[in-house]
Amino acid sequence: MVKLPPMDYAAIMPLLILFGAACLGVLIEAFVPRRARNITQLLFSLAAVIAAMVFVVKRAGNVTAANAITAGGAITIDKAALFLQGSLLVLAFVSLLIFGERTLEQGGAFVAQAAVTVGSEKDKEQAAKSLGSTEVYPLALFSLAGMLLFVAANDLLTMFVALEVFSLPLYLLCALARRKRLLSQEAALKYFLLGAYASAFFLFGVALVYGYAKAVDFASIHTAAAVGAGNITLLITGLGLLAIGLLFKVAAAPFHVWTPDVYQGAPTPVTAFMAACTKAAAFGGLIRVLYVGFDGLGWQFTPVLGAIAALTVMVGAVLAVTQTDLKRLLAYSSVANAGYLLIGVLAGGQLGLQSVLFYLVAYGLTVIAAFALITLVRDADGEATHLSRWAGLGARSPLFAGIFTFLLLAFAGIPLTSGFMAKLSVFGAAVDGGQTWLVIFGVISSIILAFPYLRVVVMMWLSEPGESTPSVSLPGVLTSTALGVGTIATLVLGVAPGLLLDLADKAAAFIR
Amino acid sequence: MSAVQTGEIITFFILAPLAVIGALGMVLARNAVHSALWLILTMLSLGVFYIVQAGPFIGMVQIIVYTGAIMMLFLFVLMLVGRDASDSVIETLRGQKVVGTLLGVGLAGLMATGIYQATRDYTVVGLEAANKDGNVQGLAKLIFTNYVFAFEVTSALLITAAVGAMILAHQEKSGVKAVGQVAKMRERFLPGNYPGPKPGPGVFATSNSVATPAKLPDGNPSQRSISPILPTRELTAAEKADKPTLTGGA
Repeated sequence: MVKLPPMDYAAIMPLLILFGAACLGVLIEAFVPRRARNITQLLFSLAAVIAAMVFVVKRAGNVTAANAITAGGAITIDKAALFLQGSLLVLAFVSLLIFGERTLEQGGAFVAQAAVTVGSEKDKEQAAKSLGSTEVYPLALFSLAGMLLFVAANDLLTMFVALEVFSLPLYLLCALARRKRLLSQEAALKYFLLGAYASAFFLFGVALVYGYAKAVDFASIHTAAAVGAGNITLLITGLGLLAIGLLFKVAAAPFHVWTPDVYQGAPTPVTAFMAACTKAAAFGGLIRVLYVGFDGLGWQFTPVLGAIAALTVMVGAVLAVTQTDLKRLLAYSSVANAGYLLIGVLAGGQLGLQSVLFYLVAYGLTVIAAFALITLVRDADGEATHLSRWAGLGARSPLFAGIFTFLLLAFAGIPLTSGFMAKLSVFGAAVDGGQTWLVIFGVISSIILAFPYLRVVVMMWLSEPGESTPSVSLPGVLTSTALGVGTIATLVLGVAPGLLLDLADKAAAFIR
Repeated sequence: MSAVQTGEIITFFILAPLAVIGALGMVLARNAVHSALWLILTMLSLGVFYIVQAGPFIGMVQIIVYTGAIMMLFLFVLMLVGRDASDSVIETLRGQKVVGTLLGVGLAGLMATGIYQATRDYTVVGLEAANKDGNVQGLAKLIFTNYVFAFEVTSALLITAAVGAMILAHQEKSGVKAVGQVAKMRERFLPGNYPGPKPGPGVFATSNSVATPAKLPDGNPSQRSISPILPTRELTAAEKADKPTLTGGA
């Protein structure tokens, strides 16, 4: 007789809320009049994220080894998972605010009908008049729910399903930009094809690991690896293929090639969402796989992943120097940041985990604020992202140029910003974990990466504003909030990081 | 039971080359419909492999769902899109096909040797235990116990796919709105609009094409005189030059 396994509904409530809200969001599309849809969807999605957050916080107090694993062993809601889920919800909340912005442009950043041929008469009409599509909210919620499941998955199959659930909506969201639609569609297609390819590697890896361990849950993999019976080649090949799938999502070199095109082509709110949340989710999954399932193989994977981390920080930094588009520049900077995070992952132990968790939140909030600011600098064709257009912005709008300077300094890791604390904790953990050579690469890369950031700063402040310098639009309350939250968090986490570091320290424990 | 039987070997060596031929044919076929048909051959062969390897359920699913439903969907889409929608054969990156093929073959070789090395001295176990209550029952038990959450979550994937297909492919019909005379008149005299009739295209002694713009009094072409979807016909120097009648004869 088959019986449903016991479900700890309090533990999986955040997931259920988000999936439920996403389904209801699709119904809202059908029944709410068009004019009221954006505000309804926005408030509804934000409410769902808050409700999920309430359950995450409520759960945080009473996690024990006994009650962490639920749903027939498919999900582990341990402290690390809760921390990641909480940070994902916070980051998604802030990004959703930018999704909802409608004052900068008629209809917001999203196209109303993506099927209309680019450049046709109908397209011109819809660019001028139509309201943006609001299906983006349910899609973002589906994606977010998938991410929450991804960081809490306790076996590789659930992890794979979660990976697909959070990727598919992202592919779609990328195609929905209102301006520069061909770039946006190209970005979506590239992301989809390469993503599908990476998923296939992940799945192949799952099959091989199953062949060795005779199970797909992390505890069994850990035990099988510890026993080490038979030929371990199968397990290592499997891990390698799994790692390809995961490293693709975190945008580590040489699996980063999609990043600049997709970051540039996607609507900027979606780019912000991807840069912050996808990175957090993918690293959450990666550390779970490495720390919980394959921790016995540290000797085998550390040198390989170390080489990838070193390559990633260098590739990201060097290519960032050559960029002339701000969104691409931030994309390469996000590649380099994936490298720094990878250094933290390889540091191992409690300290490494804590530094990675802290870094994900600090970087996520800063990057959302940076992309929020990019949505403000516009001309008649939409956002003016070319670097030369930002010359002299300091004279036009000292406040926003100042904020952007501060954010860039945070990316560069200047003290009194969260970027400094995050890098310090990651590199400190790596030295502690005996990965000093990676720290050397990390520091060199940070120095190189400071150059493109400072070049933007110099351009903004020391150039005269010219004819083509775009104006900085006055943000609506939503973008202002997102920008404010991101900037203040960057400052606070740089000046007084203790609270979040403590929280990350307490959360840095997996339950197998 | 776990020993490989003669029948299985024969089936394998008949179908394995067919599966590989199908896969190659799918990649190499010029025509999209032929590609799809080659793929069906590969999928059918795989389905038989699964059945031979004591997985009747997955084998039948492979045939019914993939070969039956999904491939038919492929063909329908090809039918709707038009099968002669050809690819551009210009390579933007020179030599990428060669490099790609080499790398692909290299990866396949690496994986094949790796897996062969790893599984050479494995003994197959656990098939009897897995199929104890029957293959379908065993799968159902797993789907509705350990993996019930993952199974339910796949529904999110289906909803996303449906919503996505709608977003990317659906166009709302722009109904013809009934416009009153007053509204039409207002629209006509809105700032930025030219209320008069547009000039016709240029009809000269040398050309009477609708793509030839009319000339303004100062001799410049008038963009207003031609349809925006037509490419402007460049006038030759001879056509552009003022005619002798204008300059007083020569």
